Amino acid sequence: MGMTYIPSTLGEALLLRAETGAHPLAGGSDLMVQSKRGIALAPEFPFPVMIITGLDELKGITLLDDGSVEIGALTTPAEIASSSVVPWHVREAASGMGAIALRNSATIGGNIGNASPKGDLPQPLILLDAEVVLISVHGERRMLLDDFILGSKKTALGDDEIIKSVVIPKHDFSYLFYRKIGMRRANAISKLSLSAAAVVKDDEIIDFRAASGAAGPKVIRSREAEAILKGHMREEIPALMDTFLEAWNNAISPHAMPLYRRNTTKRMLAYFLSAIHEGKEEGIIREDS
Amino acid sequence: MPHTAIDDKVVRVDALVKARGEARYVSDMSFPDMQYAYMIRSSIPRGTIDSIRIPELPEGYWFISAKDIPEEGKNELWMIQKDWKCFAEGDVKYVGETIGLLVGPDRNMLSYLRDKIEIRYTEAEAAITIDEGLAVKGGPIVGEDNVMCSLFVEKGRPMEEVFREADSVFEETIETGFQEHVHLETNGAIITIEDGKYTFYASAQCPFYIRKAVAGLLGLQPEDIVVKQTTTGGAFGGKEHFPDVLCGPLLVAEHKIRKPIKLIFDREEDMLYSVKRHPAKVTYRTALDKDGNILGIDGVVVYNCGPYLSGSFVVLQRGVFHANGVYDIPNTHVKGIGIATNTFPSDAFRGFGAPQTLYAIETHMEHIAKKFGYDPAEYKSRYFIKQGGETITNGHIVEKVVLPEMMKQVVDASDYFRKSKEYAPGSGKGIGISFYNHGGAFTGNGEQAIIKAHARLVKTGEKVRIEVGSTEMGQGFQTSLRKIAAAALGISIDDVSYDNPDTSVVPDSGPTAASRSTMIVGRLIERCAEEMKERWEEGDFSVEKEYEHPEGHPWDQNTFRGDAYLGYGWGCCIVEVEVDKLTREVKVTGIWSSHDIGKAIDELIVHGQVNGGIVQSLGYASMEKMENRNGHFRQSSMSDYVIPTSMEFPKQEWFLVDNPYEWGPFGAKGMGELVFNGADAAYIDAVERALGTEIHRIPMPPEDLEEVLRNA
Amino acid sequence: MLNEIVFYVNDKKIVFNGNPLTRLIDVLREDLELTGVKEGCGEGECGACSVIKDGKLVTSCIIPVGAVNGSRIYTIEGIRDTEKGRCIIEAFAEGGAVQCGFCIPGMVMAAYALLSSNPHPSEMEIRKGISGNICRCTGYDLIVESIKLASEKGGELWA
Repeated sequence: MGMTYIPSTLGEALLLRAETGAHPLAGGSDLMVQSKRGIALAPEFPFPVMIITGLDELKGITLLDDGSVEIGALTTPAEIASSSVVPWHVREAASGMGAIALRNSATIGGNIGNASPKGDLPQPLILLDAEVVLISVHGERRMLLDDFILGSKKTALGDDEIIKSVVIPKHDFSYLFYRKIGMRRANAISKLSLSAAAVVKDDEIIDFRAASGAAGPKVIRSREAEAILKGHMREEIPALMDTFLEAWNNAISPHAMPLYRRNTTKRMLAYFLSAIHEGKEEGIIREDS
Repeated sequence: MPHTAIDDKVVRVDALVKARGEARYVSDMSFPDMQYAYMIRSSIPRGTIDSIRIPELPEGYWFISAKDIPEEGKNELWMIQKDWKCFAEGDVKYVGETIGLLVGPDRNMLSYLRDKIEIRYTEAEAAITIDEGLAVKGGPIVGEDNVMCSLFVEKGRPMEEVFREADSVFEETIETGFQEHVHLETNGAIITIEDGKYTFYASAQCPFYIRKAVAGLLGLQPEDIVVKQTTTGGAFGGKEHFPDVLCGPLLVAEHKIRKPIKLIFDREEDMLYSVKRHPAKVTYRTALDKDGNILGIDGVVVYNCGPYLSGSFVVLQRGVFHANGVYDIPNTHVKGIGIATNTFPSDAFRGFGAPQTLYAIETHMEHIAKKFGYDPAEYKSRYFIKQGGETITNGHIVEKVVLPEMMKQVVDASDYFRKSKEYAPGSGKGIGISFYNHGGAFTGNGEQAIIKAHARLVKTGEKVRIEVGSTEMGQGFQTSLRKIAAAALGISIDDVSYDNPDTSVVPDSGPTAASRSTMIVGRLIERCAEEMKERWEEGDFSVEKEYEHPEGHPWDQNTFRGDAYLGYGWGCCIVEVEVDKLTREVKVTGIWSSHDIGKAIDELIVHGQVNGGIVQSLGYASMEKMENRNGHFRQSSMSDYVIPTSMEFPKQEWFLVDNPYEWGPFGAKGMGELVFNGADAAYIDAVERALGTEIHRIPMPPEDLEEVLRNA
Repeated sequence: MLNEIVFYVNDKKIVFNGNPLTRLIDVLREDLELTGVKEGCGEGECGACSVIKDGKLVTSCIIPVGAVNGSRIYTIEGIRDTEKGRCIIEAFAEGGAVQCGFCIPGMVMAAYALLSSNPHPSEMEIRKGISGNICRCTGYDLIVESIKLASEKGGELWA
């Protein structure tokens, strides 16, 4: 059982991290549950822990000059969901995460650092090519979140690093799609999720991207599949549909409920693509509309 | 103070204290020098215990097991039979079987010690599913063929004769899964010694059951044990016999340790190591004429009981007695089999065996209707049983049956027939309907022959105290019963008290189960009150009454012939859905129900029961999936075994009919279980229509719907 | 670096020197004997242990006490005799929201948080506002109605 520290400043936290390897604990919604021991017992960890909930340096949402948005690691899903500068996909995912109480205590840094394939926030962030900013006593480095998350519960976080923030580049999508299928209609872990987006100009698909959550050891993006559509014209979508769906289907690897997860993913992608093909009004594509 | 009339709106007597957080549940209680207990359980479904290695225990810590049962005691929990042991000895038959109790003052230390206990087993092949139990996989668990209990009932002509006349025969098997109670308060109990007697504080439905179940462990009589019920945070059948499994080991521990000991399950323990609703497999073979009229139904009902009987035979009987639903089928033959397996023993859960067969018969009837092109509501209504109609057990329906009137209420309110026509099969929209009933109180003459309930009223000055063994567990009985007493006495409800029962004070009123409390105990209190009112001027006195069986209800418990129940509650439910074409998620867009409970003692309480029962039933049908792999339940938390939230279902529209019941207080019948018994079938009917397919099992989350559609 | 954790529970100053990973619920129930806070699941799923931390609804079973330094925490015991608390509690009693009662203190806290930020919620907003509080008894309809009643009866109280 390791020691537990409560650093008062980010500087202290980084020193602790470097010297003791203490794991950061923020909202508690993942770590406290994973290590729970029962009624009236404190969780125990086989490593030292530092509770960083109070570090104001890691909180807040900032719109940067280049139009990108930086979200501090300790920002909660509730704060993200109610921010007007955070991109739509991320707000949707944040507002559908767990229950209200969880959204008030969980953090974006924790959701990323925990790297659960069912985590709600990595999926839209990876869609948007978000970068994660890592900080240590030696300075900062940035990398694509897609590269940072290596697999289920595995990340590229260095032994002396903590997650400082997430930076989401600016996008101007013509069409947007997001769906989370939970175990129930609220307060649920994700069974499957999908986000997708496209930029269409003069009927040409300039950009097309999608991200599948809970469909493999980590969030799935397939640049190969996306390339099948990019650069083609809107009217070519029906001809490319099967090839694209097959490529996407090959990219995902759900280990449980494979039939459901594959078919549902296929149906959602087909629906989104059909909406683009039909020239639906630009914006958010919802099933009901 | 004005007197309370039965139709007056009153505030639930326990509402404020609970909402203020002042009610004391067992986990909120503590005693000086209190010790804590952890249960040590088997980790394999079947085998023999080779060795138990206990780490060296610090001073003041104890490991209690079968060896600690004194010579004059027996290692058995007396539920209905005495087959369920208090502590496993030699062999284990399910994952989670109690092996020992670790007791001591500090929970941290206990937790470390628990992790250091090493139990070695020789594992045997286990039978988990109904089919494995029937196939006697791994050798018999019970008897030679694993049949733990069985019965059959028949009505009308012999089946061979009926099937010879059939133009067609339709056979199908319908299955239901485990269901976990998820009472928000987990199981828990404290034992201490008060006035020289072993005294339990327990979250329980049936304090008198506990006394009876555990006394023999120390060679004592039930009267030697005192059980005080604590405010109970939900039960639903999960705290009927199961508290015995906590209290038995506690008593053996107390015999040695003689300090207060507290045992509270955390949620994971409560999920993994507690009783569940019996999974069922119901096969109907139905003889039909060329127009789809039913000539006869031959049914086989199999329930997965686990390795010990607990309440299973009574659950199975109720399942069989409800296997023909609300219908008067001219010829029926139904066989019931309770099969032994190596799962955690199944036991009582709201509905007590009836929901499984009611779901099956409703689905079966609806499938027949669709095959012959009839609207299911119209088709089912042709077979409604009527007053005087012969039941599946050759008894008769005594009360007036007002199902047609109830059906009209919900059909009109939901615009059922229009929607039923308009929503094409497979259109993504569907509406479904179900009819159901629930026999009130114990089967047959059980109330007279077995229970012999007592109830007492005690008058002190102008105040009256109710003394009964019945418990409040959320269903509202403290309010209902006080209202019955007050209304019958012509005094205010505020002048009537009714505390949580203490077995050393109150008479045994029978278990708080079987939808019997209002109907049976309520009637007893009404009778007490009638006499007390006559003698009101006599000063301080008490009146105690014993149950009296109404005349003219023949029953033979050996052949299962006669009036299985003294009266039934009746129900009708309509559910409307939209199924998401991309994700197969089902959105319920409307719920309508009508119930005949004789008379509502308190309409607001009934309203809450209707809402809650229907939502529990919809959870059962849609999302509550409890899987068992190799004897281990796979769902261990409230995040993987999900129950409905406030977002799942829309506001319900509900109706009652006034149909007073002759032998109930103010005309009331049982209702707590009835309201669970039918929404599942209406939901599945609606989903089937929305998808244009047939469904043969519940629960049906989206991923299972996907499988159904693939196989269609 | 913090060596002791200082926070306020129901306006009372608490100085905690023990294991910072101690669950907030255990400090509340075991040390402060605030047993109106209930443990239903121990993993933040059921809402029975809901409290208000710095104005926001949180589940006290997943928060380590080390994370509440400087925070103001209110439990059911801290609000039940306030005007707002009484308004909700009385509406729950009148509206038939209470059955077994185990989820109810947490549900009252959720209603308190909801009405404090949205004085006149629609039915759907109420359903969303309590969607993290699981109730096995009521089917929620009467809880929703009772919160609506509290919103109406409270009037200016919530503005």
